[in-house]
Amino acid sequence: MLSQIWHWLNERWPFSTLIHLALDEEIPGGSRFTYTLGSALLTVFMLQAVTGIMQLFYYVPTVDHAYDSVNFLRTKIPFGWLINGLHYWGANAMIILIALHISRVFIWGAYKHPRELTWLFGISLLLIVIALSFTGGPLSWDQKAYWEAEVGTSIPGSIPVLGDTIKRIMRGGEEMGQLTLSRLFIVHTAILPATLIVLIGAHLIAFRRSGSVGPWNEAQGEIKGQFWPDQVFKDALIGTLIILALITLAVFAPKPFNGAADPLDSSFVPKPEWNFLFLYEAIKFFPGRLEPIGAVGVPQVLVLLLVLLPFLDRGPERNPLKRPVAMACGILFWGAIVALTIAGYYSKPAAGEAPTPPSLVPRVTTFSTTAQSGAQLFPSQGCIGCHRVNNTGGTIGPDLSGEGLSGRSRDWLTIQIRNPKAHFPNTVMPTFASLSDKEVNDLVDYLLSLKSGISPSSAQISNKPSAPKPSSESPTNVPAQTSQTTSSPSQKQIGPAADIIGNADRGAELFKNQCSLCHGPMGTDKIPNPGSDDGIVPALNPIDRELFSKNPEEFAENIDKFIQHGSTPSGPNTQLKMPAFGDTNSLTQQQIANVEAYVLRLNGVNRSELINPGITPRRFFFIVVPAVILILLVLGGIYRCLP
Amino acid sequence: MREEQQPILIEKFSTTRRTFLKLLIGIITLFIGLILGIPFIQALIVSKFKKAKLAWYKVAEVDSLPVDQPVRLNFFARTDDAYRHETTVHSVWAVKHSAYEVTVFSPICTHLGCYYKWDAGTNHFECPCHGSVFSIDGKVLGGPAPRPLDTLPARIDNRVLFVVWEQFKVGVAEKVAV
Repeated sequence: MLSQIWHWLNERWPFSTLIHLALDEEIPGGSRFTYTLGSALLTVFMLQAVTGIMQLFYYVPTVDHAYDSVNFLRTKIPFGWLINGLHYWGANAMIILIALHISRVFIWGAYKHPRELTWLFGISLLLIVIALSFTGGPLSWDQKAYWEAEVGTSIPGSIPVLGDTIKRIMRGGEEMGQLTLSRLFIVHTAILPATLIVLIGAHLIAFRRSGSVGPWNEAQGEIKGQFWPDQVFKDALIGTLIILALITLAVFAPKPFNGAADPLDSSFVPKPEWNFLFLYEAIKFFPGRLEPIGAVGVPQVLVLLLVLLPFLDRGPERNPLKRPVAMACGILFWGAIVALTIAGYYSKPAAGEAPTPPSLVPRVTTFSTTAQSGAQLFPSQGCIGCHRVNNTGGTIGPDLSGEGLSGRSRDWLTIQIRNPKAHFPNTVMPTFASLSDKEVNDLVDYLLSLKSGISPSSAQISNKPSAPKPSSESPTNVPAQTSQTTSSPSQKQIGPAADIIGNADRGAELFKNQCSLCHGPMGTDKIPNPGSDDGIVPALNPIDRELFSKNPEEFAENIDKFIQHGSTPSGPNTQLKMPAFGDTNSLTQQQIANVEAYVLRLNGVNRSELINPGITPRRFFFIVVPAVILILLVLGGIYRCLP
Repeated sequence: MREEQQPILIEKFSTTRRTFLKLLIGIITLFIGLILGIPFIQALIVSKFKKAKLAWYKVAEVDSLPVDQPVRLNFFARTDDAYRHETTVHSVWAVKHSAYEVTVFSPICTHLGCYYKWDAGTNHFECPCHGSVFSIDGKVLGGPAPRPLDTLPARIDNRVLFVVWEQFKVGVAEKVAV
C-alpha cells in the first residue's frame, strides 16, 4: 500500500530523485564528527526559524509595546521563556558554530580549487548571520538593545561622504525611533532570512557538486563512507546535543530583563553583544578623526581577507602541517579577534562615547519664568524635605532662604545639585542626576532669586513666614499633583510604569540616589519625619502589608501610585513629603519601573517572575535532558549489541 | 585513533546495523521534535490567564434613566488586553425597572459575539449578524442564540449605577465567564 502511494507520488513529482541527490553521497575517508558542523548550523538555523516564527505570534515592532510584548511572551505564555531563550541562545550558537565551521574548512584546506564558490557562499552566509545578530538584538527594545542600535547605526554614520545617508537608511531618519524599529524588524524577519535560505541552497548545491573534501592524506580518502545513514547519524547526534545545550542555557542562563528602552537615561553604559566586542575594542585604536577607519575599515579588511582567501592561497596542498604561512595567518586572524574580544569584555567605553540624551531642551534664559519653574521643582523634587525656605521645609540641610545673597556662583550651585559630593564628600544630599539641564538651570535661578526671604512665587509655594498651620488647613506648599493625605494616591490612577517589567539592578542605583535619603539605604531605616503622625518615614523593607502582594503585578501597581503622584503623610506639620516622581517627570516611567522592580526585590518578590511558564524551566530541564540522554544510551546499547 | 580506523570499520557495517542506524536517526529526530513541538503548540493554545480583579465602574445616574426603556450606556474601564493596559470605552444596555432596580446586559450577542441593537419599533433587541431576537428582559425570541442575553453584576449606590465589566463565552448554552 505504502509503496503504491510512493510510486504514485513519484510518477508526479521527483521525490525519490531529490532524496537520492540529497542523501546518497560517498564521503572520502568515511563519516566523521568533525564534519558535523555544517549540518549543526542547519539544525540551529531551523530552530531559529521555528522559534522566530513562534515569537512573531506575540511580538509587535512598536516602540511603545515591543518590550512589553516580549516580556508578555516570556512571563505569561506557556513555554514562552523556552521559545525566547532558545532563540536568544541559538543566535549565539550560530556565531560560534560558524566560527568553528569556517576554521575547520580552513584547516582542511577545503576552500581550494574547485570549491571557491562554496567558500564564497559560506562567507556570504557568515555576513548574513552577523547582520541577523545585529538586527535581532534591538527588537526587544530594552535598554541594552536600544543603545546597541543607537551605537550600531552611528558607526556607519561616521563613514565620510556616504555615512549620513547610510545612517538615515538604517534609522529611517535622523534619530532613533519607531521607523528604526520597523526597519530592523522587516530586515531581521523577512529580508535576511529569505536571503539566508537562498544562500544556504546555493552553498549546499556547490558543496554537493564537488563533494566532501575528505582527509588531506589522500591514501585515507581512498576508502569511501556513506553520507546516509552514517554521517547523518553523527549529524543527528551532535544536533541533539546542541539542542540540549541550548535548552540548558535557556533554563539556567536566561537573558536578563534589562528594563524598557529609555532614550533619556544617559547613565546607561552600552556595550555590544560579545560577538561585536572585537570591533568595539578595535575602534579604540583609532581615536578621534581616525575612528571611521576602525569602525568601518577594520571589518571591511577582515571580510576582504576572507573573500580573497581562495584566490590568494592557490596551492593544491591541503595538509595544514605543510601550509605554515596560511596556518600562521589563520592563527593570527583568530588570535587578534579573540584577544580583542577578551579585551573588549573587560574594558569600559572610550571617553566621550557615552551618548547624550537626544531631546535636551536648550537653556531658557528668561529669568523670571525659569525661577518660577524652579520654585515648583523645589518642593516636587523633594528639596523642601531637607531644606527650609521662608520657614517651610525640613531641617536636615541648610536653610536656603537667603541663598541668593550667599555669593555662590551659578556653576557652584549647578555642581551642588548634580553632584553634591564634589563639594562635601560626606554629605547626605542625593545626586540629582535625573534632572534635565533645564530643570537644574531653573532650580539654580530660583535659588539665586532667594534674597532676604522674597521668592518670585512665595505666595504659591510657601506658607506665610510666621505661624505655621496644620497642613490640612494651610495653603498647600506643594504642587497640586501632590496629595494632602496618605490615602489620596490610592484613588489616583496607576501610571504606565506599573505595567513595565523593570530591571532591579538599575532600580537599585536610582533608589540609592533618589530614595535612600528618606527611606534608608536598603529601605530599612526608620528615618525620623518630624511633624507627621507616624513620626518616621514609612519603611519599604519590609513594606506596609497593605501594599505588599506576592503577585508582582499587583505589588507594582500598589506602590506605583505613590511613586507617580507622591504623598504627604498625615500630621500637623509634616516635614518630609514623598515627591511625585511621575507627575513631575523627575523620573521617566522606565526608571520608575526599575525602582519598582528593586522595591519588589527588597521584599522578596521577583518583578520578572514567570507567571505562566507551562512547566517551570528547571522542572522542564530535569524531565527532558535525562530522558534524551537515557534514550540515547539505550539506543546506543542496542546498536553495540547488534551483529 | 578511532576516527582513523573508521573507514575500515565502515566496510564491515552489516545491513542490520545500517537499518538500525536509520531507525535510530528517525527516533532521535522524532523525540527532539516532540520535546520542542509539544511546548511550542502549548504556547499557541495559551492557557487561561488568572482573572484580573473585577472592578465596579460608575456608569450613570439612575435618575437620568427612563423606566422600562433600554439605554445604551458608555463608560471608561481599564482593559487588560495581553500586554496592552489601557482605559477604553465599554458599553452596556441598562433597563431601569425602578429607582432601586436596574438590569444591565452585556452588549454582546450570545450567539457569535456581535453587538446587538434595540429596535424601538418592535420593542426587541436584534442582532444584525445572524438575526437573533431577544425580549426586553433578555429572553431569546428567535434566531440562533443559544442562551438569553448575559446580565452583568450591577449595584446602585447613592442613586449612581455601578457595573462590573465581564465577558462570557459565546455560542454555548451556559453562561461561562472568559
